[in-house]
Amino acid sequence: MFEQIIFYFFAALLVLSAAMVITVRNPVFAALFLVLSFFSSAAIWLMLEAEFLAIVLVLVYVGAVMVLFLFVVMMLDINLSPLREGFARYLPVGIVVALLMVVAMGLVVRSNYFGAGHYYASVPHEAGYSNTTELGNMLYTTYLYQFEIAGAILLVAIIAAISLTLRRVKLNKAMKPEEQVAVKRKDRVRMVKMAPEKREP
Amino acid sequence: MIILSDVLTLAAILFCISVAGIFLNRKNVLILLMCIELMLLSVNMNFIAFSHFLSDIHGQVFVFFILTVAAAESAIGLAILVVLFRNRNTINVNDLGTMKG
Amino acid sequence: MEFDMVNNLILVVPELTLLILACLALVIDTFIKNPASRGGIYWFTQTSLIVTICLIYFYCPHQPTVAFENSFISDPMSTVLKMFICLISFVVFLYSRDYLKENDLLKGEYFILGLFAVLGMMVMVSAYSLLTVYLGLELLSLSLYSMVAMHRDSQPATEAAMKYFVLGALASGMLLYGMSILYGVTGSLQLTVVAEYIVQQSDANHFLVFGLAFVIVGVAFKLGAAPFHMWIPDVYQGAPTSVTLFISSAPKLAAFAMAMRLLVDGMFPLLGDWQGMLIILSILSMATGNIIAISQTNIKRMLAYSTIAHVGFLLLGLIAGSRAGFAGSMFYVIIYALMSMGSFGMIILLGRKGFEADNLDDFKGLAERSPWFAFIMLCLMFSMAGVPPFVGFWAKWFVLKELVAVDMVWLAALAVLFSIIGAYYYLRIVKLMYFDQPTSMLAIKASQQMRLVLSLNGLVILALGLVPNVLMALCISALTR
Repeated sequence: MFEQIIFYFFAALLVLSAAMVITVRNPVFAALFLVLSFFSSAAIWLMLEAEFLAIVLVLVYVGAVMVLFLFVVMMLDINLSPLREGFARYLPVGIVVALLMVVAMGLVVRSNYFGAGHYYASVPHEAGYSNTTELGNMLYTTYLYQFEIAGAILLVAIIAAISLTLRRVKLNKAMKPEEQVAVKRKDRVRMVKMAPEKREP
Repeated sequence: MIILSDVLTLAAILFCISVAGIFLNRKNVLILLMCIELMLLSVNMNFIAFSHFLSDIHGQVFVFFILTVAAAESAIGLAILVVLFRNRNTINVNDLGTMKG
Repeated sequence: MEFDMVNNLILVVPELTLLILACLALVIDTFIKNPASRGGIYWFTQTSLIVTICLIYFYCPHQPTVAFENSFISDPMSTVLKMFICLISFVVFLYSRDYLKENDLLKGEYFILGLFAVLGMMVMVSAYSLLTVYLGLELLSLSLYSMVAMHRDSQPATEAAMKYFVLGALASGMLLYGMSILYGVTGSLQLTVVAEYIVQQSDANHFLVFGLAFVIVGVAFKLGAAPFHMWIPDVYQGAPTSVTLFISSAPKLAAFAMAMRLLVDGMFPLLGDWQGMLIILSILSMATGNIIAISQTNIKRMLAYSTIAHVGFLLLGLIAGSRAGFAGSMFYVIIYALMSMGSFGMIILLGRKGFEADNLDDFKGLAERSPWFAFIMLCLMFSMAGVPPFVGFWAKWFVLKELVAVDMVWLAALAVLFSIIGAYYYLRIVKLMYFDQPTSMLAIKASQQMRLVLSLNGLVILALGLVPNVLMALCISALTR
């Protein structure tokens, strides 16, 4: 019972903060509400015995990805008003469509099949069980191939992000003495062979 | 006791919120990127719930990889956003007048 | 846990080598300081692709073999598709070099990201579990998003990249939601286990169909089937032509392989369910593609709509649901990639510094400027339209034959009707080339190798039209287990 109350509390918090993400005016608030929704889902994941992932969600997502989002929001000087055009106009339609989708998906996921019959809550793991060890064992043996691909994906992200955003700006026009000293004669003077020109008298 | 269909319903609601968000904020790319994060969060919720109720760790491994890929994805998305902003001084996708959808 | 490392690794030698070579290319690129020797990375890339093709050929097992706990498969289909993917990418890079050089885009990143995209496609082709499919797809998509945005100062390119990114990420989200339901119902990520489960436990099937619907949305998005085609016209038009060329060729093969793995290897018992969904997608794609293409004046945009129409046709083979039908689809997708590569190659050929030949008017009077390349373009356009001696006709023929064999005559008739409508805009280009006055008489400037390979590309289309059974036999043998 106690467990259920905690679950519903965090679930409600998650749904509310997610709803705020898509409706607030200011992108900074949206990012902060997204952080809140990550925190509340991390709490739910803890209850579902996915301890490692819950911690990763907070550390990596809240700690790195959301900070990146906030950086970009702050860096770009965004004019907010035109971005909200049409929001109020589409809001009723959006709500109706979303509710219809929730009902349709709810009919499937709330059916008896996903209730008690096939899926009963498993017995909690004993005290010595380590979720992190289990995941680590999987990652470096069974999922070795996928682990390598994930590495390649991260490398692609690094290459792409750097090559897209890095601009070498020349901030000053200082000389480079080492280049000036290293100058050779052939860099500066080019000897051109020409046929002798005679002026017509 | 948490039951599976409750968690699945929560994920479904989250999924619908993110789809509605994409529909409503078609002009603001930043919010669009956040909605995509929400969508992936709902998928992760599904996987973790199934993994718990099936007592099978493979679902959690999948979530691990989704988190990795999503981090890479948002890095690239934000990089493209920065380039777009430098070019146009706006992040409004809709007045991309040069192209008709 | 016993883990036989060597036997597993031997199967992925081509992928591993490509990964190592791509990383090497990255290192080499940082040491190239002199802008004049930028081309070096191009040669390195091309060599890597040739090495990979050789390795794929030498390391292909004689019968289908799985590795890494059922998450990787090497079978005849994967061997054939991988070799075509590498070959097509090789030609694409060759075409792109002139374009990149003229538009000051010749940077190492283009080729390095291209190599990673090829790696992603190879992973997708041999994927045998839901997780591998997803990771391969993301490796491919992330490389493509950034390649589209690579022309940083071009507004259309960055806008196209943003649209591509948002819609692509949305599609991945849909695909993942579907995968999560499949995992939850069957309790496994392996496609073989999913397939077995569907046969054994038929009471859970309508929950699987719920997941299947999301998976189909994701696959349709990546293939570019209507009504999930919104990104294709904008991305094709906005991206630099060299990137459009890449997106429109090899990744289609990978998307086809993804559809095959998910729908045929993983969910073949649900044939009746996905058949219906694909029929809707296919009819919508053929209708929107062919009808909207007629009103386009930009040839890149026109070819984008033609892609959508071709995807609709390609789905027909999957709808037939027989091994021969799948072989027909595979034949179609390979031929489509060759034709599309040639057509975008022509656009690059006609362009020059600061000028893109992407309007239909730029093709006016091509027969006077260069009779030979007008002939090559004629081959490509006739083949796309499906005029009999060319290979495009046979591609349509094989698919329609299988459709008739499973008693879907009405669908075949509809497809014929749409391809007749579609023939109009291909033939219009031929008319512009042969019967109109040229707008400029500038000589075509292109490197010798580009001329040679583009000519070969057109001649292959012509030659395959005369002996289509060579490639078809290969496709059939690739798909019979």
